[in-house]
Amino acid sequence: MVVSSTQAGTEASSQAGRGELSFAAASMRTTLWNLVSLACALALWQLAATLVGSPFFPAPLKIVDAFLQLATRGDTFGNSLLRHAWASIERVLVGFGFGVLLAVPMGLLMGLYPKLYAGTRSVLEPFRFIPPIAWIPLAIIFFTGLTRFAFLIFLGAFFPVFTSTLVGVARVEPIHRKVGIVHGASKYWTLRHVVVPTVLPDIMAGMRVGLGTAWLTIVAAELAGGISTGLGRMMTNYAELLQVPQVIVGMLLIGLIGFLMNEVLLLIEKRLFRWRWQVSL
Amino acid sequence: MRGQEQLNERPKVEVDASHQYGDLVVYKRLKFAVAANEFICICGPSGCGKTTLLDMLAGILRPSEGAVLIDGRPANPKQQSISFVFQEPSTFPWLNVRDNVATGLRIKGIRGSEMVEKVRDIVEMVGLTGFESYYPHQISGGMKQRVAIARAFVTDADLILMDEPFVSLDQPTRERMQNEVLDIWRHRRRTVVFVTHNLEEAIFLGDRILFLSAKPARILAELPIALPRPRDPVSPEFMALRSQCMHWLHAPSGGQMPAQGKLNHTENR
Repeated sequence: MVVSSTQAGTEASSQAGRGELSFAAASMRTTLWNLVSLACALALWQLAATLVGSPFFPAPLKIVDAFLQLATRGDTFGNSLLRHAWASIERVLVGFGFGVLLAVPMGLLMGLYPKLYAGTRSVLEPFRFIPPIAWIPLAIIFFTGLTRFAFLIFLGAFFPVFTSTLVGVARVEPIHRKVGIVHGASKYWTLRHVVVPTVLPDIMAGMRVGLGTAWLTIVAAELAGGISTGLGRMMTNYAELLQVPQVIVGMLLIGLIGFLMNEVLLLIEKRLFRWRWQVSL
Repeated sequence: MRGQEQLNERPKVEVDASHQYGDLVVYKRLKFAVAANEFICICGPSGCGKTTLLDMLAGILRPSEGAVLIDGRPANPKQQSISFVFQEPSTFPWLNVRDNVATGLRIKGIRGSEMVEKVRDIVEMVGLTGFESYYPHQISGGMKQRVAIARAFVTDADLILMDEPFVSLDQPTRERMQNEVLDIWRHRRRTVVFVTHNLEEAIFLGDRILFLSAKPARILAELPIALPRPRDPVSPEFMALRSQCMHWLHAPSGGQMPAQGKLNHTENR
């Protein structure tokens, strides 16, 4: 044997061990603090609602009431909360999915061939600064149903993913490309095994930003009307009836679903990028 | 020792090339050969174009004039098997030790049990057994460089190019790694071209040392190292060689150096 592998062994395992311990302890403490701050917020809310004593400032318990009613009996038109929520989620997933499917290949292509981007950026870039909400009037004229929402969300999700992919390709280390080249790798191999792994974290970060934009857009688009389902629609209906608890249920649900979708993406990230996170093996 | 039998064979690597970037002449008729399984060290002042030379040897840079031949054919990474150990960290951070080592094999289309066996053997040889599933950020700089060395030696490379691979390591690690490389080279006979600006490293490792001048670079001298291995850097013979070599390493750019002692002058050979 050439090396004293025992010495190298203790070096690395002590490093991993320390990381593992502090990681578990830190995550426990974080959870605890989050529970405490959540409880504090609810208590403050309850206190304020009691002090104000107005039907337009409902206490947390009223919200729970409204939630249960909406979930079991549905709204004034008989559409259940689940149906509203699913309608919104479906629109977001379809639009977001198409956005990612187009943004990633385009970002990779233009990142690999910067001339392509340089030659077309005066066409592409202005679109980035038109907020998806500004497209709503046109979308209402051109599309109906799912297509309309998918189109708007596509616009909101595309640019964050496209831009971060484009920027990510520029971050590929020349030395990593060279490792492939000296071993006689093809262009496809370099793309698949060097470029994509390097850019993937940027793509995921772009996806999380894009998802935020998508949620932002869906609610605005649903407020614009023309449909009977969707969380935004439900909120507008109840706002017109001046029923605040139901409106707040819609708001909280939007926040919760967005949060959960983000958590799912984070979970995928942690899985995919074990090489970046200090995780125990 | 091994030199005799190689006299009849064609050299593994033949360089007869000039290269320039625009007006900047990096090499003017650089000419040398490397025998099969030889461990050759190339020494020169910084900025003498060592990277350009290695890129030409790796076949990723075509000389503007002349050619670099490996087994009589122009160097081409798609046709010949060439491996490279870089100066800077070059492991892929998203692959664990095992997959990093297997990179070259995968590109060459070697898979399955053959790949697994080769990787296992070389990983053991560089002392990384037990660390196969670790990612680069979890291991030390020395271990990362061992991964890069294993990756270079695991393929049946015709030629292994090493570009100051130990320059960023601390002295004890560096010495250990030098011994390891010699050990692997002893087990896996390969042709190695090792670039360094560290004279002791060159004398310690090489069968032969080529000294390059500053740009436009040419070969100032060629020095076969006849000391038996393992070499002792503090032995009188080693020290004597070292002080002789100082002249060549610190030669003024392109200056005429007199042939001296047992050094073979190979200029315009």
